[in-house]
Amino acid sequence: MVLTKKHQVIDLKTGQLSGHIFVDPDIYPQELKQIFGRSWLMIGHESLVAKPNDSLHTYIGKDPVILVRDGKGKLHAFLNRCTHRGNRTCRVDDGNEKFFTCAYHGWIFANDGKLTHVPGYEEAYYGELHRETHALKKARIDTYAGIVFATWDQHAPSLEEYLGDARWYLDTVFNRLESGTEAYGPIKWMEPVNWKTPVDNCSDNYHVPLSHGSSAGLETAYLGRPRTTLDEQFKSPSKHLSVNGHAITFRMSQPGDVRRAHGVTNENLHLFEQYYKETQADAERHLGKFRAGHVQLANHSIYPNGVLGFRLALPRGPMLTEFWHFVVVEKAMPRELKKALANGSVSNNGPAGLFEQDDLDNWRQVTDGTRTPMGQSLPQDLSMGLNHSGRHDEYVGEVSERYISESNQRKFYQRWEEFMNAEDWGDIALQPRTASYEGTATMKG
Amino acid sequence: MATLTTKSNIPIDVTDDELKLWFQFQKFYSREAWALDQRRYHDWLEMFTEDTHYFMPRRKNVRFKELDREVTGEDDLAAIFDENKTIMRIRVERLETGTAWAEDPPSRTRHLITNLEVEPRANGEVKARTAFLVYRSHLETEETLYAGGREDTLRHVDGKWKIAKRVVVLDANVIMAKNLSVFF
Ligand code: FES
Ligand SMILES: [Fe+2]
Repeated sequence: MVLTKKHQVIDLKTGQLSGHIFVDPDIYPQELKQIFGRSWLMIGHESLVAKPNDSLHTYIGKDPVILVRDGKGKLHAFLNRCTHRGNRTCRVDDGNEKFFTCAYHGWIFANDGKLTHVPGYEEAYYGELHRETHALKKARIDTYAGIVFATWDQHAPSLEEYLGDARWYLDTVFNRLESGTEAYGPIKWMEPVNWKTPVDNCSDNYHVPLSHGSSAGLETAYLGRPRTTLDEQFKSPSKHLSVNGHAITFRMSQPGDVRRAHGVTNENLHLFEQYYKETQADAERHLGKFRAGHVQLANHSIYPNGVLGFRLALPRGPMLTEFWHFVVVEKAMPRELKKALANGSVSNNGPAGLFEQDDLDNWRQVTDGTRTPMGQSLPQDLSMGLNHSGRHDEYVGEVSERYISESNQRKFYQRWEEFMNAEDWGDIALQPRTASYEGTATMKG
Repeated sequence: MATLTTKSNIPIDVTDDELKLWFQFQKFYSREAWALDQRRYHDWLEMFTEDTHYFMPRRKNVRFKELDREVTGEDDLAAIFDENKTIMRIRVERLETGTAWAEDPPSRTRHLITNLEVEPRANGEVKARTAFLVYRSHLETEETLYAGGREDTLRHVDGKWKIAKRVVVLDANVIMAKNLSVFF
C-alpha cells in the first residue's frame, strides 16, 4: 500500500534527528498504538511464573497485563481489565491464585481467562449475559529462551521472524546453555525521560568513558574492571549492528573468555574462568563453535523498548518512563557467581546504579533541550559514522565499520518511522534471516 | 526482616541504662544525618564497620493476608542495594572525581531521622530502628521525597559504635525518583 509519508524524523543522508519526536503531544499516543500496540514486547520470564497458578503483574507498553500459568501449566497474558466496567481484576505484583476477583462488583475470572462467576447472573441479568464473550482479553504470547513476549497484534509475524537474525547474537547471552536462565525482579522506578532515549542509548558506546568515567575508573582500581577509555573504544574490533530495529553491539572473544559483566571482580575472576571453562563444551554444542567461542553480546536493545537485556523502558508519558530492571542469570551457574552477577547488575544498572544514575540527567536534558522555544527548531546530530556501515561478509545486519558509531541509533529511528507510518504489518519490512544457526539452540532454549 | 520487637505499650519505669542507650543513639543518628547533609561522606562511611552489609530489598504489592512476602528477602537476587564496604567506598570516592554526574552539581538533601528504637543484644551488639524522610532538591527545580525505615545492627569497634548491617526499606513500590544517588 502506498502511503503519504507522515513521519519523517531522521534524515539518513545527514543524520539529523528532528526534536519534535520527543515534544509533539500528538506523537506519544500514536506511539502507544502504532509501536506498542503492534510489536512483540518482553513482559516476563518463565521462571517468574514457574508453578501452576503463578502470576506476575506486568505491562504491554502501558496496558496492565497479568502473565499467568494456569492450573494445567499453560501460559497466558490477559489485559488486567474486568470485562464488566473495566476495573483491574488483580492488584498484586505477583501471586499464586486460581481466580481473579474484581473488587468492584465481584465478577470472578479463572486464571485461563474465563468468566466463571457473575453475582446476580439470574437475578439481575436474567441469565442473559454471555459469559463466553466476557472472558479476559487475551494477548498473543510466545517465548524466546525463557523470556516471555506478547503482542496485541494478531497480524504480527512470528516472534522468531520479529527477532530475526538479532537472535544469532542474543543467543550468546540468553541462550548460551541448554539448561537456560532464570530471572529475578523487577526493580521499578520512574525516569523523567522519553522512553526512546534509554533505548537509543544502548548502542551509544561513545558515552561510556565520559558519562561513566568516575564509576568505571574506581571499579578498575577497586575491583579490577578492565579499563574503559575512549582510546580503547575507538581501537576496539568489536561490532555495532542493527537488525529489524534491534540494536546489537558485541565483543569478539576467544573460547572460554569470561564475559566481563558487572560483578566480575579480581576476587572472583578465577571462579568465573573455571565456570566458563567448564561450560564451554556445552556452549559449543548449543551454539556451535564459532558463536560459542568468538561472539559475546555486549550493550544492546530489543525493539522497541528492551534496554540492555531483559530490562524495560515502559512508556508513561512523553517525558516519563517507568523503568523495570530484571536480573537474568544462567541456571547452571553456582549460587555464589549468580549472586556476584546480580549484585553487579543492580549496583551498576539499578536505580542506585553506579553507571545508571549518571545517565539520567543527560537523558533528560537531551530531550528537554528539544522542548524550549529555540531548542525545538534545532535537530539532534546523529551523523557519526554516516556512510560507514553496510553488509558484512561474516556478520548479518547493517554492520558499522567501527565499534563507535551512531549507525544503530539512526536505524532505531528509521524503524520508529516505519512503524509510525505503517497502516499495518504489511507495511513493515523484516530483514530476511540468513545467519546459519549451528548447534542445538532453538527459540525455545 | 523485622527482628527488633517494638511493642506499643512501654512500662512506666525507664532505667538509667535504657535512657543512656537511647540518648547515645539519638546522638549517633543525628550526627549521621548532619554528616550526610553537610556532605561529609567520608565521615559517614567511617560510621560503618569494614565488613558491613548495606541492604535495600524491594517492596511488593501483596494481599494483606500475605504480608509476610511483601518485602523481598536476602535470598532474592534483585535487591535495590546489596553491597559491601568496597562498593560504598566507590560510591563516596566517585563524588570527588569531578565526573559523578548524578551528583555533580550535588543534590541538596535534608535527612529527617526519627522514631528511634534501641534494643541491646546479649552479644553486646545493638539493634536500632529509625524512620526517615529524606528531601532531595537537585539542579534547578527537581524535588524528591524518600520515606522509609532503617534497621541497623551496631557493634562496638575501637570505642565507637559502628553499623555492621543496615537494612533500608523504602515506602515505595515503583520508586518515584530518577535515581537513588543520595545515601540513606
Ligand atoms: S467492574 Fe468488575 S465486576 Fe464490575
Ligand atoms: Fe550509560
